[in-house]
Amino acid sequence: MTSLNEIKLIDGYIFNNNPTEDTLLFDALLIINPQLSGQVVWQKKTHVIVQQYSRKKLKAEIESVHQKLFSQPSHRNFRQKIWSIFK
Amino acid sequence: MARQINFGWTAAEREQAFLSLYKKAFPAVAKYMGKMGGSFDDAKDVFQDALVIFYEKSVQGAITLQTNERAYLVGIAKHLWSKKFKENTLNASLDEQWDIIADDDLQPSQNKLMHYLETAGQKCMELLKAFYYDNLPVRSIADFFGYSGERSATVQKYKCMEKVRETIKEKHLAYDDFVE
Repeated sequence: MTSLNEIKLIDGYIFNNNPTEDTLLFDALLIINPQLSGQVVWQKKTHVIVQQYSRKKLKAEIESVHQKLFSQPSHRNFRQKIWSIFK
Repeated sequence: MARQINFGWTAAEREQAFLSLYKKAFPAVAKYMGKMGGSFDDAKDVFQDALVIFYEKSVQGAITLQTNERAYLVGIAKHLWSKKFKENTLNASLDEQWDIIADDDLQPSQNKLMHYLETAGQKCMELLKAFYYDNLPVRSIADFFGYSGERSATVQKYKCMEKVRETIKEKHLAYDDFVE
């Protein structure tokens, strides 16, 4: 099995979307190859890091929208409406 | 998977979608927060977290076009705000449902790792984000990242997963406080 196939199988295992034959194969591989369960743990960690990275990027995009709404002349009415709430 | 609410495939399209959602729902959230004694900054924080949840649920296909965007965002914002004050809230099941995003503070070692990935590994991280977080169609990812086709983009996804996984493993050995 190539390392890329292994990664694909591990993804399928993590997200529970491997076809049945791959699920059986993977269960067998987990027994035969003790290092594989370690790779599963690292791949799960990688997914957590990818999610953290992505959220950070998304939050930066949202913050940029906020800055535009609260600084650009074209959005003046909108921000006045908001500021009037917190007067 | 069909994308029910169109956030588009690029940062510029997402910006338009967020501008529209801000205009539709932020006034109602601000009004509610003002009534509840919250500040402008509280309203901003809560609303931006609500937008992240809304985005994640949308790209996962968990929100449909039938969903009233404004009502949904206001609902999440109210929940997040009440959660700030009520520990052991009865709405714990909603926390699970919305995969609340509060615990974003990273350990120092995670910050170091994140910084490394944002610089040295940026191209791979962007590709993995497009696949796993933004849930974009493979065809669009191939076009956007300049791969010859879907197969090539998919192979690159797995190569990047391998590269980032090995980096994380390597950095784990170097950083003592890497969180489990």
